[in-house]
Amino acid sequence: MSIYTQRRVANGLVMGLSVAATAFGLLWLVLVLWTLLENGFAAITPALFSQMTPPPGSAGGLLNAIFGSVVMTLIATLVGTPTGILAGTFLAEYSRGSRFGEVVRLINDILLSAPSIIVGLFVYEVMVVRMGHFSAWAGSMALAIIVIPVVVRTTEDMLNLVPNALREAAAALGSPKWKVIVMVSYRAAIQGMVTGVMLAVARIAGETAPLLFTALNNQFWSTNLNAPMANLPVVIFQFAMSPYADWQVLAWGGALLITLTVLCLNIGARALASWSAFKQ
Amino acid sequence: MSPPQAAARLAMPLAPSDPDVRDPELLPRQKAVIRNVDFFYDSFRALKNISLPLHDKRVTAFIGPSGCGKSTLLRILNRIYELYPGQRATGEVLVDGENILAPGRDLNLLRAKIGMVFQKPTPFPMSIYDNIAFGIRLYERLTRSELDDRIEAALRRAALWDEVKDKLRQSGLGLSGGQQQRLCIARAVAVEPEILLLDEPASALDPLSTQRIEELIAELKDDYCIAIVTHNMQQAARSSDYTAFMYLGELIEFDETERIFTHPKQKQTEDYITGRFG
Amino acid sequence: MAVDTAVGQRLGAQRGRAGSIGDVVFRALTFLFALLVLLILGGVIVALVEGAVPALRAFGFSFVVTEVWNPVTEKFGALAPIYGTLVTSAIAMLVGIPVAFGVAVFITEICPIWLKRPLATMIELLAAIPSIIYGIWGLFVFAPFVQQSIQPNLIASLGQIPGFGALFAGPPLGIGVLTAGFILAIMVLPFISSIMRDVFETVPAILKESAYGLGATRSEVIRQIVLPYTRIGVVGGIMLGLGRALGETMAVTFVIGNAHRISLSILQPGTTISASLANEFTEAVGDLYLSSLIALGLILFVITFVVLAIAKLLLLRLQQRAGG
Repeated sequence: MSIYTQRRVANGLVMGLSVAATAFGLLWLVLVLWTLLENGFAAITPALFSQMTPPPGSAGGLLNAIFGSVVMTLIATLVGTPTGILAGTFLAEYSRGSRFGEVVRLINDILLSAPSIIVGLFVYEVMVVRMGHFSAWAGSMALAIIVIPVVVRTTEDMLNLVPNALREAAAALGSPKWKVIVMVSYRAAIQGMVTGVMLAVARIAGETAPLLFTALNNQFWSTNLNAPMANLPVVIFQFAMSPYADWQVLAWGGALLITLTVLCLNIGARALASWSAFKQ
Repeated sequence: MSPPQAAARLAMPLAPSDPDVRDPELLPRQKAVIRNVDFFYDSFRALKNISLPLHDKRVTAFIGPSGCGKSTLLRILNRIYELYPGQRATGEVLVDGENILAPGRDLNLLRAKIGMVFQKPTPFPMSIYDNIAFGIRLYERLTRSELDDRIEAALRRAALWDEVKDKLRQSGLGLSGGQQQRLCIARAVAVEPEILLLDEPASALDPLSTQRIEELIAELKDDYCIAIVTHNMQQAARSSDYTAFMYLGELIEFDETERIFTHPKQKQTEDYITGRFG
Repeated sequence: MAVDTAVGQRLGAQRGRAGSIGDVVFRALTFLFALLVLLILGGVIVALVEGAVPALRAFGFSFVVTEVWNPVTEKFGALAPIYGTLVTSAIAMLVGIPVAFGVAVFITEICPIWLKRPLATMIELLAAIPSIIYGIWGLFVFAPFVQQSIQPNLIASLGQIPGFGALFAGPPLGIGVLTAGFILAIMVLPFISSIMRDVFETVPAILKESAYGLGATRSEVIRQIVLPYTRIGVVGGIMLGLGRALGETMAVTFVIGNAHRISLSILQPGTTISASLANEFTEAVGDLYLSSLIALGLILFVITFVVLAIAKLLLLRLQQRAGG
């Protein structure tokens, strides 16, 4: 075989393998989503949304778990988003080249990639042990700690994209710095920041580990934030690992719900990002 | 007399016995005086001992090749360089007799009196109405109708009113480049400044828009002391009353525009004007 | 007419002062919350250390090398979870890196422009799917499939090779270290692939064009121009993916089998640090048991911290070189 033919074969091999790898990756995506739909679809009944988690062997729904997840996600977002935005603002607007800013940025990246079960352990030590019991508050705080680094990152990145000329133009009119940031920089970066929040919410919507030893679980309907609260991920964990068929069906239903929510948020966030890029 | 000395002399208040005095009533008043100003980017000395006056209700142009420091000089006048650490100015800039480079001066109040328009149009991400109202709202509390009137007046001043009066609520980003720049001019004059700084305001625009901006400047000078940086010499010759030629951070020559362009005293000035370099 | 007094008369110096106060307050506020980020991490470290101290004091350094995990006799050793964490992550890297590389090459070099965006999005959706979904899918769909179709073949083929075959010994259970590692690979490949993609895109077009201009094939340009240029970033991306794999909890918990023992065979069940925590923490009775679990968490945190710090440093160096 001539050298040229050898090279062409090698090239074909590499290209072929890349195509195969991509197909391989996509295959798993399709498989997972397909089985999810297949198994979870059966569980999507009105009962799912109107009844509580049942004891083994009886029919029921996931209402208390859905409620708990929504409530804790909401609280986590309400707590984590302003915190993340303000911290991200500090990094982008006030910490130009300072050592402190670099350290915060590094720490934030570490928190961003830290195993979420460690966050759960931390909140357990700090809140559950202190308070003497599990609670939805603890669960929400654990989720908030996961939200914060994501929002800090996206806020800082988006604010850094705002051109300096815009800031100078506002400053040249005599605007104090905080108004420049709040009324001009934030407005210019708002779409990116919203995308960041959406991605953070998508992330915590499916998180199980941080809730395992903070909010725990609750068989019944509860609106008491000071007590263990049912939530979808932990319920899925419990039901799926059990030997009971109807519990397993409910687990698939819950899994489908979570996945749909997460996918919608992700795709929505991307659509928002590319729409705003398109506008400019 | 060396050029810096000549400029410094022009920067001094004129004595009645001075042979250059014609009719004191017709003499333009000095609105601002730049005196012995140096500028540093960290340890790099970008401006060397600049002294020159800015006359009220006149246009003073800063010209020179790229990197000569003309924009740097302009940006000293509203201390916009203070946004960046490592940049500092020494010397004095007297506006109506008071040194604006003095420490402890409130920069925001200062900038409310000295307006700036930048090279690239910078409309804020808000409606046209809010763009203009932004500066006004910073320091004045007006009723709705008063605000409407001020905004209309500013837009008329910038020759933009007729084009946008029906779409004041639309985003400023939707305007064309030339319109956006006139919006920025309207925004700057809306707060009724005393000095207007224009940093190559037409360089990012097409020729037609450039012409309109130049006409605008000619009208605006009746009310403001204007300093304009431009790399377009024809523009400087046409629109300005005084011209400062700078090179490598130094003021080479400062004089009435007519004299600089017809009888420049320095060889470097003559070379630049005739296109031999830059 | 002085500048300031004119302003003061007409504009109200009060507004000016209020602006300055606003500046001070706002800056302090943002600083405080930035500090909070630091404090959170500090708190995590302190809480972990505090909780782990009883166990560390009781067992000393032998904690890390003991395999025994007996809640009844209260003898705990971290060796099995650590081993499981490292092996599953190693499998995840072995499978995930080549696939991620292939995907990155495809998207940046082969893919038609109109397909790039949707394809990239789809691969990234793999990362968006929550861990527990992979867990439940792994338990009910993938593990049985592996048990019936893959493992018997592996045992019959690779398992027969003397010496090396011990890696593939044992009854086909479906769940186990290999299954967990494979699922981790699927979860981790979008992260690695996405960083590789970003890094590949930074190669200046001129560089590639000069190679093509000399008649190089696509694969030669990738292997000899793109990869060397992006070497640091690729390694950084891999380390980020590794950090991710080390900390994954739910997917692994469902399919690893939760056995506190070390087996040579990767077809056997085992446990990882995060899986142990997830399974046993709420059931743990006794302070020493609890403290041992927290000590496990501390070890995991240290491992991921080190890996992430290295990844960060590498990526930072690449950024600086590229034009920071």
